[in-house]
Amino acid sequence: MRETWIVGAATNRFGRMAESAREAAARVALEAIDRAGLTPKDIDHTFVSNAFGMAEHQGHLGPLLNTALGIPEVPSCTIESACSSSSAGLHEAFVHVAGGFADAVLVVGAEKLSHLDTLTATSYFATGADFPFETRNGATFPGLYATLASAYRNAFPLPPETLAQVAIKNHANAALNPHAHFQKEISLETYLNSPIVASPFRLYDCCPFSDGASAIVVAAKEFVRRPTSTPLVVAASVRTGSIVDMHDRPDLWGLPASRRAGELAFRAAGLTPKEIDFLEVHDCFTIAELLALEDLGFYPRGAAGAATRDGETARKGRLPVNPSGGLKAKGHPVSATGVAQVVEVFEQMNGTAGARAVARTETALTHNVGATGGSCSVHIFRRG
Amino acid sequence: MGGSAQGGHSIADYVAGYTDLGRLRGFRCPCGFTTATWVLACPRCGGRNLADVDLSGRGEVVACSVQHVPSDEFLNEVPYAYVVVDLGEGGRITGWVAGVADPADLPLGTRVHFHPSYKPGVQFVRD
Repeated sequence: MRETWIVGAATNRFGRMAESAREAAARVALEAIDRAGLTPKDIDHTFVSNAFGMAEHQGHLGPLLNTALGIPEVPSCTIESACSSSSAGLHEAFVHVAGGFADAVLVVGAEKLSHLDTLTATSYFATGADFPFETRNGATFPGLYATLASAYRNAFPLPPETLAQVAIKNHANAALNPHAHFQKEISLETYLNSPIVASPFRLYDCCPFSDGASAIVVAAKEFVRRPTSTPLVVAASVRTGSIVDMHDRPDLWGLPASRRAGELAFRAAGLTPKEIDFLEVHDCFTIAELLALEDLGFYPRGAAGAATRDGETARKGRLPVNPSGGLKAKGHPVSATGVAQVVEVFEQMNGTAGARAVARTETALTHNVGATGGSCSVHIFRRG
Repeated sequence: MGGSAQGGHSIADYVAGYTDLGRLRGFRCPCGFTTATWVLACPRCGGRNLADVDLSGRGEVVACSVQHVPSDEFLNEVPYAYVVVDLGEGGRITGWVAGVADPADLPLGTRVHFHPSYKPGVQFVRD
């Protein structure tokens, strides 16, 4: 396998976009290519994700994107894996570059949902679950993670403020992130005054519906002779799958796809959780951050809540988790999320994360889940 | 009972079963894995010798969340509880319990059974 780098990265501000996903995707793609010191003509392949393109009556985004970038002849395809779509695109790019099938690959994720009403957006999000066997029986997307929270808290009791602490921490990080949807801190009082969406989740346990677009350029070390930024070395790129229906899995207090992805990624990178400096994990709901930290082996089952309450996962703690603000507060434009996590690692490792910079940036892990864990990506990066 | 999965029920049969016939159809593998989810092979062992079975629809709530922001089919049902039910015969199925506003009204461990109705999805009521 060839050594594979992330050589350029860009994102727009998550939240509400006036322009279409197509336009936003092209803008961040060009910015990522520029930042890599490359030109669009260097791109051999494009992987684009836009899971809810139907919300804009648009599919087949790849050739539209490449046409806008002046490279209509470059092959492309759309990668869909629910909320892990663009990290799945990154994995495909890794396979192409590491395997020698491409020298430079563009990976882009973009989503626009803000023009939909809450009912329509909620119904779209629920399509990532099993429609006849979960959604049609009353599950919403928050409802599914809430049932995990219900079973988890029954087996491993948490004081109610523990979930609030995850939200408060991630909002504090997002308040320092110019790319974030919610650039404001929240208090425990604000959290407790927010309405119940799906018990035990209040509004502030849930990530928002965000618009956004993010792009990275993946390239072979031997192709990029003089990187213009500090590259990220891809030490592991792992994808896993699992039974979609949560109730058909052996237990309800974690995601089997995350557990397996973590094990495989640490083995591929030759590292252990103790050697990771910071991480971006899939916190679509507050409970998901705790489950991820346990599934990935950073804490034993039942211990991530206490660690969060003790501040270990805060930006200045022992193990900064979601310094970007995470899906929870940076926002979750479904298809952009996986790549946006890598943009955060890129900015942290290049020293351009500004006020939200973490202390140590030699190694990082990103964890991105498709819906309720039917698919999962874990990537480990070393500073190049 | 009886019949291989290849010759077994479809997803449409499953929906028609709970909607019109008061039946909850599922699959059972000789390894013990039991599910309502439509499959051609066992997700646990890969075996293809699945029995096409009627599930009892009786069991215990093992996970529960009260929904206040529904998707479109449940617009007129909020608040309600989305539940995971552990069946006595093995396997788990999902469904909902009407009129639950407070999760304390439906604690984990509550015994419920399938209640055929004209409403969407698989509806349960307390025993």
